[in-house]
Amino acid sequence: MKESAVMKKRKKAVSPVIVVIYVFLVLLAVLYLAPLLWMLSVSLKDNAGVMAAPFALPETFHWENYMQAWSLGKLGTALVNSTLVCGVTLLVSLFFGAMAAFAIARMRWKLAEAAHTFFLIGMMVPVHCILIPLFVRFAKLGLTNSRFGLMLPYITFSLPMTIFLLTGFFKSMPGELIEAAAIDGCGIYRIFFKIALPLCRTGLFVSGLMTFVGNWNELLLAMVFISDPAKKTLPVTLTYFVGPYATNYVQMFAAIIIAIAPTVIVYCLFSNQIVEGLTTGAVKG
Amino acid sequence: MDKILKDKKAIFIFIAPALIMFILILVIPIFQMVYYSLCDYAALTPPEFIGLANYKKLFFKDATFRIALKNSIFFMLFSAVTQQVIGILLAVFLTNIPKGRNVFKNIYYLPSVLSSAALGLLWAFMFNPKIGINQLLAQFGIKGPLWLMDSKGFIVLPMWVIAFVALWQYVGQNMMLYMAQITGISKDIYEASYVDGASKPAAFRYITLPLIKPMMVTSLSLNCIGSLKFFDLVYNMTQGGPNHRTEVLATELYAEGFNYFKYGYASAISVVLLVMCLIVTLLVKKVIKVETYES
Repeated sequence: MKESAVMKKRKKAVSPVIVVIYVFLVLLAVLYLAPLLWMLSVSLKDNAGVMAAPFALPETFHWENYMQAWSLGKLGTALVNSTLVCGVTLLVSLFFGAMAAFAIARMRWKLAEAAHTFFLIGMMVPVHCILIPLFVRFAKLGLTNSRFGLMLPYITFSLPMTIFLLTGFFKSMPGELIEAAAIDGCGIYRIFFKIALPLCRTGLFVSGLMTFVGNWNELLLAMVFISDPAKKTLPVTLTYFVGPYATNYVQMFAAIIIAIAPTVIVYCLFSNQIVEGLTTGAVKG
Repeated sequence: MDKILKDKKAIFIFIAPALIMFILILVIPIFQMVYYSLCDYAALTPPEFIGLANYKKLFFKDATFRIALKNSIFFMLFSAVTQQVIGILLAVFLTNIPKGRNVFKNIYYLPSVLSSAALGLLWAFMFNPKIGINQLLAQFGIKGPLWLMDSKGFIVLPMWVIAFVALWQYVGQNMMLYMAQITGISKDIYEASYVDGASKPAAFRYITLPLIKPMMVTSLSLNCIGSLKFFDLVYNMTQGGPNHRTEVLATELYAEGFNYFKYGYASAISVVLLVMCLIVTLLVKKVIKVETYES
């Protein structure tokens, strides 16, 4: 009783502070949403309208901006390329990552810790560092200008995060299930596929999303490795609109919106899972 | 049972795919990069060993590299300080408000998952001298500066602008990590401290802060490495201009490597970048000593 009275009193005393905090948070939210909404508004105007009054709402909706951006920037092709590259990367890196994480977290061998550290060091290496040697090597092997060639470094650089997160999830998994299965004569591969993987759904989902988002937005490697316009990914396509000669603002904005729409949709659908999974994974690891 | 989990062949099969990819695409290229950095290597001729000449030129003759190094270090320090402080602050605010926590959290985190190539274009447009923010300022009779073209000062104005945009985009990540850590702290500790007469700021200082320290190591190292290898926003907002004043290590590396095809020289820049990343990570681990608490 006494405690709750103390708490109550404290809550009341603090309320002006809470109000100030709310005001701050709302202002900050405006700072976050306004540019995005403004971009939407600009993308529906015509160029003259943007110059005259950039902050006014569009008088008529110029949907044709989207059509033009779509065909001019070859966004359809880029969307297919991005989906293909990121999709394959996602599946392969999850599969390889889960296998390695399972061996590190659950199997008993002397070098498990060393292997874990080895993969984690990968997180410290910026992708820029391997850019030139990899480009030279891939050019010799005919892997530049190929979507497959782009997937290889994407997979490799997704592995450290995936292994880091999944090791945390596998470690927190109840060991009894695996032991029971082993005693019942279940082989190690069946344990992995039938017990460990299904139990680790949240972990797979989170690391999958992080991998996908990261690679979906990746610019540098994609820019260096792919020069054929038919194979470019979305972020590279957007760089058409960079530079002093890019004056077709409305189409640029329409293109940006098309490019970020998939991520925004995925984020809105899964934001709570992303946030929760990400945090549990990170805290556990 | 033990036998199954100690099965050497199975362990090998599980670990091999990831390990092979890692060695082929990460480890070997790193050694190659170090070798190239000691070579005169223009794309078309084979690499020729020249010792430390690239590094000498880099540190003693190349003014653009010095600008890039300066900007990258500025960018890292700025990001580390602001993102940590604001990240923790937001996390504390959001864990203490009674309603709307998820809404705010989702809003602040949103830009972190968006393409910085796309957001870079948006902000470049916002800071366009004729159209965006300056037109808004003009309505109040203020003449706005040339946000992305000014080239005066030790750290030029465009660099500050880029740093603030990066803060805007990525602070949500730090907030999120800290929120996870703070929600993991038992409520009982706080209640007990309030009963003992502790104020909220005191509780923050003596309970929250020490308990989120482990997260600080993770968050700060990710933060520093992330800002050292920063490329997308700079490339799409200023392309290193005006007159190379906003060049950072990553854009400089890209320009030397793939605009001028000086592979050897660009490799030397990569080595500097890698060494800086390693030093920073080790420093963070050393400076923030983590004591383990019962949680």
